[in-house]
Amino acid sequence: MKKLARIATAAVLLLPAAALAQVNNVGSCGWGSKVFDGQSGVVPQSLAGITNGIFFNQTFGVSFGTSGCTQDGTVRSTWKTSMFIDGNKERLARDMSVGGGETLDALAHLLGVEAADQAAFNRATRDNMQRIFPSGSAATEDILAILRNVLNADAQLARYSAAL
Amino acid sequence: MPRGFFWLLVALLVAPLHALAGGYADELIERARHLRLAERAEWRKLVHYVPDLVSPGVHSQIDSPAFFNATLGKQDPRAELEATLRSFFAPPAAEDDHPQCRFAARRAWLDVELQFDQRRLPRRECRRYREWRAAIDASQLTLVFASAYVSNPGSMYGHTLLRVDAAAQDERTRLLAYAISFAADTDETNGFAYALKGVFGGYRGVLSMLPYYLKVREYSDLEHRDLWEYELDLNAAELERVLAHAWELLPVYFDYFFFDENCAYHLLGLLQVARPELELTAQFPLWALPVDSVRALTGQAGLVRKIVYRPSRSTIMAERLARMRPSERRMARDLALGALPPADPVLRALPAERAAAVVEAAYDYHNRHALLVARSEIDAPSQAPRVPPGPRPDEGHRTSRVALGGGQRDRAAFVELGLRPTYHDLLDDDTGYVGGAQVEFFHLRARAYEGRDARIESLIPFAVSSLLPRGDFFQPRSWRVAAGWERRFTKSGAEPLAAGAEGGIGGAWSVAGGLLAYASLEAAVRVHSAFEHGYTAGGGARLGMVVDAARSWRIHVYAQQIGSVLGERTDPGAMVMEQRLTLARDAALRLDLRSERQAGQSFNAAGLFVQLYF
Repeated sequence: MKKLARIATAAVLLLPAAALAQVNNVGSCGWGSKVFDGQSGVVPQSLAGITNGIFFNQTFGVSFGTSGCTQDGTVRSTWKTSMFIDGNKERLARDMSVGGGETLDALAHLLGVEAADQAAFNRATRDNMQRIFPSGSAATEDILAILRNVLNADAQLARYSAAL
Repeated sequence: MPRGFFWLLVALLVAPLHALAGGYADELIERARHLRLAERAEWRKLVHYVPDLVSPGVHSQIDSPAFFNATLGKQDPRAELEATLRSFFAPPAAEDDHPQCRFAARRAWLDVELQFDQRRLPRRECRRYREWRAAIDASQLTLVFASAYVSNPGSMYGHTLLRVDAAAQDERTRLLAYAISFAADTDETNGFAYALKGVFGGYRGVLSMLPYYLKVREYSDLEHRDLWEYELDLNAAELERVLAHAWELLPVYFDYFFFDENCAYHLLGLLQVARPELELTAQFPLWALPVDSVRALTGQAGLVRKIVYRPSRSTIMAERLARMRPSERRMARDLALGALPPADPVLRALPAERAAAVVEAAYDYHNRHALLVARSEIDAPSQAPRVPPGPRPDEGHRTSRVALGGGQRDRAAFVELGLRPTYHDLLDDDTGYVGGAQVEFFHLRARAYEGRDARIESLIPFAVSSLLPRGDFFQPRSWRVAAGWERRFTKSGAEPLAAGAEGGIGGAWSVAGGLLAYASLEAAVRVHSAFEHGYTAGGGARLGMVVDAARSWRIHVYAQQIGSVLGERTDPGAMVMEQRLTLARDAALRLDLRSERQAGQSFNAAGLFVQLYF
């Protein structure tokens, strides 16, 4: 049992993207997309039931203790990038389409992209925006996998794909 | 080594240690008593003691038993301090739950005051706390104010949260910070049920930690609320105290009260442990509105280092539209609604930057993926405008208001005193507030006519309204609801204080030069034994307009007629002109002129009042 757990941990650590797809863990801690179901722009006045000052414990799990991808309220480092993408798909697609923005900056930071490579990162994600986000409802694991391919295909950015 | 021998060795080692520990605990308690540590501000703030309302004692505002080491710790600061000291000597069996770890801030403070002897009181490892602390990687704290969102009763006053900024982040990557906030622990999604239960303390308040990007999405993208970020100037030791205390509060709860013991109040309670002399909650005997809690911080010299404005998506969109030509605005709307294909030659013929601006605005209005695809094919940098920050929330008028004045109704002169505990109405200066939103609670007016005793003129516990212009892109409904007691004439000639409720729904339009015209359908019901059948109910309409004649001068005019359909036929009608002239941030003049008809009685009235905000 212990050995199995260790192998599982190693797999998650070494191959997050692949492991994601296999064990479908994004689903189990994918509160980001759940929270914002039904949101589509500034138009709708009826919102997804998000209310200020209300903490939905079903959505995020208890803040203290271990749950899904968090530990005492902090996101475990192995999940940081996938949870960020999961919670920011719409913003990321928008930033990529204009070739930059705060959300894309934050993703670059998570991947360790250096300042000198930021412009190349913005350009590459913009050129491939339609591949990375083929629709408005792309699955997080697919986004991760394609983004990894996009970075791998770019000589300047290939070294960052390991972080995905 | 034989197992029996090992245990003997352990027993020999542990037995005297234990005896020693008992002695050292007593010694520490003796010193704590001598130093009167239980009476110190630090201890009061760490355990959240506040004075009892009637008796001379104190009680803690935290309600979970797990927060206390002594049985009577909630009421007895000294017993709690001494039990806490004793608990630090607990055997190290459950490392993660050791009192030294669960009460990280108490331990740190007591260690400074009593200089714990490491050999006699071994320090526990607290792996979980250290991991949590490392994961946060905090370098500074920022108080974030989310402006009011009047469509949800739980958010009418705005909201505050504490952002923990990591050392590895900068202004570009703040989305990755964590946000700590107090909130009611509930899945209630009905705003009204939430507000009602919140008022009466029906929820447990808890501390939650979420990535800041989730809060930004919630406020900025979904609720159209601008954020103001107040970076706090705390040194490393102060920062450490706040975080250690946040750790203590993570697993506990308090009974949640919407008005006083609310999120903003408890956030101040957490922050004030930073410095022994920092008293933030003591200023709030009754209310802790989020904006008041912001003022409590900006009022401390040197506590706020920098303020960053983060406009909401709809604010940015409004700025985009303001910078576009009418033809471009039309194109953006048609694109968003699908009436114009992204490949339209007219759009493509625009210079790249203008086309980009149109497509971006269209997408902000309606998040259609096809618009993103179209945008990615236009070679131009982001056209998102920089929105100049307006006045900050802490620069607005204070949230309670007293009004003193007098006037005349027909031939009777009167003096009037008004008190409105919270917080903003349509006439008040919008500086720092969300314009078009009125939120008033427990507005009381007392009036004395010449030669007569003073009487209550009205008591309106609840009056909320939203008056926002409709345009090409946004078509909000305007509405208002109010309930309370008000003087009304009846056919019998009496003018009783009748209970009632009224509401209206309609639309508002920006006409020109800042003039807002509105029209609404109205309904009202009033109950009193002086009415025939004991009540009157009816429906009608109102037409009105609001205009700022000058920066500090606002005029509101309306005409309203209700036709009674049930109960007494009072058929009330009114023509009203209200004006406000701002004298200073917290002072204004108000002139009300009205001509009314109720149950066949007509009267004219004029009143002039000085309003002071406090």
